[in-house]
Amino acid sequence: MPQPETHWGLPRNVSVDGWRIDWLMDITSVFVTMMFAATTLWILYSCIRHGRRHAAEYDAGNGKLQVGKALALSALIFGVVDGNLLISGLIDLDEGFWNFDKANAATNVVRIEVNAHQWAWDARYAGPDGKFNTQDDVVTLNDIRVPVDAPVIVQLAATDVIHSFSLPNLRVKQDAVPGMVNRMWFSAKETGEFDIACAQHCGPSHYKMRGQLTVLSPNEYARWSAEASALSARAFDAGDKTAHWGWDWDRKNK
Amino acid sequence: MTLASRAMTATSAPGLAVPGIDDRRASFSANTALLGMAIFMASWAMLFASLFFSYGLMRVGATAWPPVDLPRLPLGLPAIATALLGLSSFLLQRGLAAARAGDRRRELIGTAGAAALGTVFLVLQLSVWRALWFAGLTPGTGTYASVFYALTAFHAVHVVVGVIALLVVAARVAMTRGTSTGSTAAMGLRLWSLYWHMVGVIWGVMFTLVYLL
Amino acid sequence: MTTSIELQPIHPAPTSFWRKYVFSTDHKVIAKQFLWSGLLFLLFGGLLAMLIRWQWAYPGAKVPVVGGALFAHSSGAIGPAAYNAIFTMHGLIMIFFAITPIMIGAFGNLTIPLMIGARDMAFPKLNMLSFWTFVVALGLIASSFLVQLGSAGAGWTTYPPLSTRVGTPGAGQTMVVAAIFFTGAATIMGAINYVATVIRLRAPGMTYMRMPLTVWGLWLTSILNILFVPVLGAAAILLFLDRVFGTQFFIAGAASVRGGGDPILFQHLFWIFGHPEVYILILPAWGFVTDLLSFFARKPAYWYRGSVIAMCAITGLSAIVYGHHMFTTGMNPMLGKAFMVLTLIISAPAELLFLNWLHTIWKGSIRLPTPMLFTLGVVFVFAIGGLTGIYLATISTDLYLHDTMFVVGHFHFTMAAASFLASFAAIYYWFPKMFGRCLYEGLGKAHFWLSLVFITLVFMGQMAVGYAGQPRRLWDPQAYTFLQHLGGLNRWTSYFGFALGLSQLLFMVNFFANVFGKKNAVANPWQVGTLEWTVPSPPPHHNFDVIPTVVRGPHEFNHPEVRRLLGRDWLGQTEEMPVPTPTSELETIELPRAPVKA
Repeated sequence: MPQPETHWGLPRNVSVDGWRIDWLMDITSVFVTMMFAATTLWILYSCIRHGRRHAAEYDAGNGKLQVGKALALSALIFGVVDGNLLISGLIDLDEGFWNFDKANAATNVVRIEVNAHQWAWDARYAGPDGKFNTQDDVVTLNDIRVPVDAPVIVQLAATDVIHSFSLPNLRVKQDAVPGMVNRMWFSAKETGEFDIACAQHCGPSHYKMRGQLTVLSPNEYARWSAEASALSARAFDAGDKTAHWGWDWDRKNK
Repeated sequence: MTLASRAMTATSAPGLAVPGIDDRRASFSANTALLGMAIFMASWAMLFASLFFSYGLMRVGATAWPPVDLPRLPLGLPAIATALLGLSSFLLQRGLAAARAGDRRRELIGTAGAAALGTVFLVLQLSVWRALWFAGLTPGTGTYASVFYALTAFHAVHVVVGVIALLVVAARVAMTRGTSTGSTAAMGLRLWSLYWHMVGVIWGVMFTLVYLL
Repeated sequence: MTTSIELQPIHPAPTSFWRKYVFSTDHKVIAKQFLWSGLLFLLFGGLLAMLIRWQWAYPGAKVPVVGGALFAHSSGAIGPAAYNAIFTMHGLIMIFFAITPIMIGAFGNLTIPLMIGARDMAFPKLNMLSFWTFVVALGLIASSFLVQLGSAGAGWTTYPPLSTRVGTPGAGQTMVVAAIFFTGAATIMGAINYVATVIRLRAPGMTYMRMPLTVWGLWLTSILNILFVPVLGAAAILLFLDRVFGTQFFIAGAASVRGGGDPILFQHLFWIFGHPEVYILILPAWGFVTDLLSFFARKPAYWYRGSVIAMCAITGLSAIVYGHHMFTTGMNPMLGKAFMVLTLIISAPAELLFLNWLHTIWKGSIRLPTPMLFTLGVVFVFAIGGLTGIYLATISTDLYLHDTMFVVGHFHFTMAAASFLASFAAIYYWFPKMFGRCLYEGLGKAHFWLSLVFITLVFMGQMAVGYAGQPRRLWDPQAYTFLQHLGGLNRWTSYFGFALGLSQLLFMVNFFANVFGKKNAVANPWQVGTLEWTVPSPPPHHNFDVIPTVVRGPHEFNHPEVRRLLGRDWLGQTEEMPVPTPTSELETIELPRAPVKA
């Protein structure tokens, strides 16, 4: 079972790249708090000091100097705050969350197909032959196991309505859309058990669409993988069409 | 308060007696109405643009367009229908010119003629739908049929509205005494002819996208 | 171009009851009709919010008092399907049937002709048609709760395939989709009127750069409505066809079945409309705020032209940033990054406008009657709402926050808190002009402080649980292990929500105590110079006996010469600058704390 969180704020980060988001959230919070505090103080100060007894200054604020100052100030705020966030955000995407080349280049990369439907997550591993949608696939329900410190690429689809595959402790989330194959990747830095949540409203039992992500040590993962492959080969039923929801690993989608 | 209320104290009754004011007011209101129609057309153009955008996305996402196992759309009848719609716009424009010249009979012919051609367009459209439907092209067969029926049907609704409006305008023209320039009927004709031309232009785009391409 | 005086059409005053109060073409009556229906549905949507908060405080517990009657089949508790309908309809009602009619329907109708010096809207009959089309939509919404399987349950965003027959069977969702189309048509009719009225019927001398910013905000909103509500209309039509006629625009099969419908098409159409919609709802509020800050700080609006430019820039940019609602749908990475850049750019003009507000009150002579309190409240909550938007504009932080309660808190601060407080600022400010009486100041101030405190606490609470990762729209917010420690936070947020709901009773008392009473408001209770305050409260049927000639902008306050010569701190838009005479002397000015009574 996943461990409950102990205090408010972001849940435990167990992702190798999670620090990027946590750091950027903190930076954003610093900017936001500063600007919010300045605004509030400004309003309070004006209301107290520039109240009824204060003679209003006749000033329409359209002098060249004033316009220049207003423009410069908003440009400064825009440059510092938005510029920072833009650059950090782009770096995060290029070096982390959207850099699938990096994930694919790793020798220990794990590939999983996930099919979302009302209201569960089906997961499919390629099995010993390395090919999806074949007899030796390992297929699980609401139970995804991955090794620690290895990039895991997930290709996502859905069969009925839109769902969203969310891993709060790994800071990532991706929609599962019928008729489309989406992808995401992550790499866990700690072993343990974590919640898989559905983030997109998908019907009355949306709140129950819960899965479990188990991060195992490489040895444990190898052992589980071998056991599960052996079991699944035996359990394979060629006649059960609905169990064959998988697809060929989408190469152009890697 | 003296200065603020100065503007109100000038007269007791609203309105000023100025020679020729009624004509100028009518033409001012007419221009305002034309502006309103232009704004409406911008809005409605966005609606059809959205439908065409949907068509584009459906088509790009399709594996085959048209799908191999479905009946082909005909070209003959829709082409005739297109020509009729173009002709009706032309007739209406002639009617409008006649109205400006004060020729009531030709104004009536133009308006009623355009409405009649619009009705023929609808009949042709119905027969195309009927033939395709019984050949197996129903909305449930996929995105191809969905796009075809949704776009043409939504356009047809606009043709129906236009035909009814033109008939009302024609009736008003017929009932107006004396010259109809500057009357409500003349204004109605100007506004609805704009609408009718827009319905025609949209059909041109639709015919190209749905039938030709 | 402004209209010459005598060309403004005059419509005779109606005499029959039906023409006067029901099928009226008078913009002031239609404004009241929109206000009444908007407030009624605000109450309705608010009660739905109370049910949602109850569910989040005590998931699955019997609802006190009303539970037995409303949820008889689930022994008084809110079942998951009923819960879906409740949060879906809360969102749709608040956006389309509460904020829109109050801000745009009521105050757009009331202020535009009065503030630009027109006798009515350009197309009074279209105006009436707009309201009654809106009523058709209201009827569909209300009756959707009565049909089998209940009202719509696919979320206010109505994403297919969940919103198709596959995901949400029953007539309720279909009726709601139709209602959206009808209210969209009503909105477009209103917007055509507003745009044409501003272009054609401005009084002589009322140039664009002399228009009150209220009119600017409403005008820009109307332009956005004209261009982007039809896109929502197209989405609603296609969804309706999918539901009723079995077309397949949005129905897609499994990953292996390509070439079906495309659920993402709906999201494109929805957000092409949906993002401008955010600004549609906030631009009028910005207009009110920019004007009222100047009016009650007794100081000219700071860099009026800059505010106009900023609002225009935001209007333009709002059309091309919608993709940030779809960062997690698997959109092309390049496209995603482009949308992120554009979204961040939109904050530049917003900052400029915000700085103009702060500069306007700086070194003013601030009065704090109820409308000003609400206006400052808007600035406060909009600061929170706007600033928290940048967490969501950055894709990497959005990957974590997307579809969480943080998003819910963020847009409630902008669309709910800011628009809601701005609506109340407008109600308290224009009530004398609308109904001929002033609302009670004491009750109004109590209403403000309670609303501000609780609205901030409620939406802060939502953002806090969202920061901890709580997805939105959960029937049971403690369904996941990582959320189990948030029970107390959710409960307390609910208590604040109930308190916010109860505080609105103060407004209801105030409103009903004054709306039907004897008309005793003076023409210009706030001592400001825009045109609507030059006519009696309430104004006569044709607004202006003689169309005024405008000679200056709307924010002429504390001009030293005016103070010296007229002994007051404001100058009307129609007033010439006074000429010094030997006898005039310096006077001290004492403005009343509350609106001037007759």
